[in-house]
Amino acid sequence: MAAVTLTFKDRAKAALANPSLKAAIERTAGTAEKNRTAAVSRFAEFEAARERGRAIKDHVIAHLGHYLEKFEKNAIASGAKVHWTQTSGEACRIVTGICKTAGAKRVTRSKSMLGEEIGLPHALDAAGLERVETDLAEHIVQLAGETPSHIVWPAMHKTREDVARLFKARHRQAPASGEVADLVASARRELRQKFLSADIGISGANFLIADTGAVCTVTNEGNAELTTTPPRIHIVTAGIEKLVPSIEHAFILLRLLVRSATGGDITQYTTFHCGPKRKGDADGPEEFHIVLVDNGRTRMLAQGLKEMLRCIRCGACMNNCVVYRQIGGHAYGGAYPGPMGSVLTPVFDGLAKSRDLPHACTLNGKCAEVCPVQIPLPSLLRGWRDRSWREGLEPSVARAGIAGWAFVARRPSLYRLAAAISVKWMRLFRKGGWIKSMPFAGGWTGHRDFPAPQRTTFIQAYKAGKRGEK
Amino acid sequence: MSSARQQILSAVAKALPGKKPDATAIAEEARLFIGDLDAVRPALPLPNLTECFLQRVEGSKVGATVGRVASVLELPDAVARHLAARKLPARIALQPSSSLTSLDWSAAGIACDGVIDDGIVVGFARWGIAENATLVMHSASDAPVLLNFLPAVHIVAVHASSIVAHLEDYAAAARRAGDPAPRNACLITGASGTADIEANLVLGAHGPRELHIIVVDDVAEPNA
Repeated sequence: MAAVTLTFKDRAKAALANPSLKAAIERTAGTAEKNRTAAVSRFAEFEAARERGRAIKDHVIAHLGHYLEKFEKNAIASGAKVHWTQTSGEACRIVTGICKTAGAKRVTRSKSMLGEEIGLPHALDAAGLERVETDLAEHIVQLAGETPSHIVWPAMHKTREDVARLFKARHRQAPASGEVADLVASARRELRQKFLSADIGISGANFLIADTGAVCTVTNEGNAELTTTPPRIHIVTAGIEKLVPSIEHAFILLRLLVRSATGGDITQYTTFHCGPKRKGDADGPEEFHIVLVDNGRTRMLAQGLKEMLRCIRCGACMNNCVVYRQIGGHAYGGAYPGPMGSVLTPVFDGLAKSRDLPHACTLNGKCAEVCPVQIPLPSLLRGWRDRSWREGLEPSVARAGIAGWAFVARRPSLYRLAAAISVKWMRLFRKGGWIKSMPFAGGWTGHRDFPAPQRTTFIQAYKAGKRGEK
Repeated sequence: MSSARQQILSAVAKALPGKKPDATAIAEEARLFIGDLDAVRPALPLPNLTECFLQRVEGSKVGATVGRVASVLELPDAVARHLAARKLPARIALQPSSSLTSLDWSAAGIACDGVIDDGIVVGFARWGIAENATLVMHSASDAPVLLNFLPAVHIVAVHASSIVAHLEDYAAAARRAGDPAPRNACLITGASGTADIEANLVLGAHGPRELHIIVVDDVAEPNA
């Protein structure tokens, strides 16, 4: 896609210039933010649950090897086939390989951000399979030939008017009206037959239950079960950090996940899939494959990003992010946008290609405040900035500027002289207490005024005050 | 078996140096997190679980309606009343469970030869959970998974005696009853919905558009 070759700044600029995008983001993220706040205020035990959720995730991460082996053992005992993959390419090859071996033509997919992370939609298309996205938002994104712009609301960038136009053009039978209910009915009509005739169903996993080998999916639409039950084969793709010791641990995290994501108390469907169809079962897949994906996770464990493995993919950090709310998800250029995406994308794409992301953050701390598993997102982002500096990835202008500042700052008399000159210089351009434009400061004053400085520097004022005291 | 498996496990071990506690110690620590559960889950508003469950269905958060009968024998009449009230045809598909198929549906004027896909299905939940008015369906030979997802109207009976308080209590009750991990355990809370377009909740996404729950008060003391 052409957009990928653009820089973050180009994409952000284009997003800012798109008024319909801003409206779409505000409608959904604004509602999500409001609903989450209400849900948390109704849940008196939220802080204690959050502390517990963090402890559960940290416990699993501390004993990740143990839980991986335990899950594998129990999944195999349930009749599942477990595949281990280190890279996104390996994971995609395993999935497309299963599809080819089965002679599959039509593949239904229930929304999985891990699938997006490893590029599975593209790999399925490239393998010549008919890929049917069944989550309503993913269906919208697929019809539009786009990528998700949010991890919970992949079509957040679309207004209902956009969706109405898209369905009218692309559905075999056009929706009855542009009302949301009619748009939903139209997608139901369009997808029903595809659910029932697919050869393979692919899902992600919200939790992997170590003591049973079951895989948990969480949806509102019921598309996960309709994706995974009728076809002959169910394939699960899951990151290795999705493990929990037992179903009880999953429930504690589920309460946090749903409230943080949509403000609901529970989703309509929480399903535990355990192995293939059993003897006497009326329905279900004959083969059940679980593809465990590392794709940088063990590297995160080793390189100081352990806390990020707590993430349960609720999206609260982006709904509450002032930057995301302005530019939307596509500008970030990775599978995961917003604060969590800015921590993760450098892991997958390398910091050299994505150093702009950790910088596109005001460090206002809101993301850490709402994170249901207490991930210190601002600290992790600062960690990337720090590394970008140490690895010499910062642009030379910025490096020279900071080096210059450091040179002056280490010499107090020179610093005071420079500050005194700057204050005098800046005051030349003031108009009614504000600087509306000034040479070399267009980057700031092009968008907002700068308050004109006082007549004296802080040190001058401080010294004058001292003299006055005597 | 695979080299990827070895490499992932050794990368994990390398990233987490130090002595490895044994499985018992890990299990002990894991158990701590599911102790004192009332500190981390919402308290129920009423002491009676059935009342809690009913109140929750009728609240705005669950897209479902609810009825109540004294005995399972009254189910066909209750279903007939609901269908008539909703102006739906008296033609249903039954979950092939003997607790339903043994009832006299024709006496209530209901034909049981209806279609499943986009039709009306009547089923029985294994458990109810008062916390969010959740129904739990376990897959089995007499409980196909798709019966919960294909109909347009889903009518589900649940014994008052099988309603537990919280999500974790369901897990414990299922273990006690000896069916810890069915192939498929679906926790259903309200009709299928989506908030994918502008975060507006609309019912009837891919699964049932309507969910009607009938609580069956058992002869013995409920929630004993």
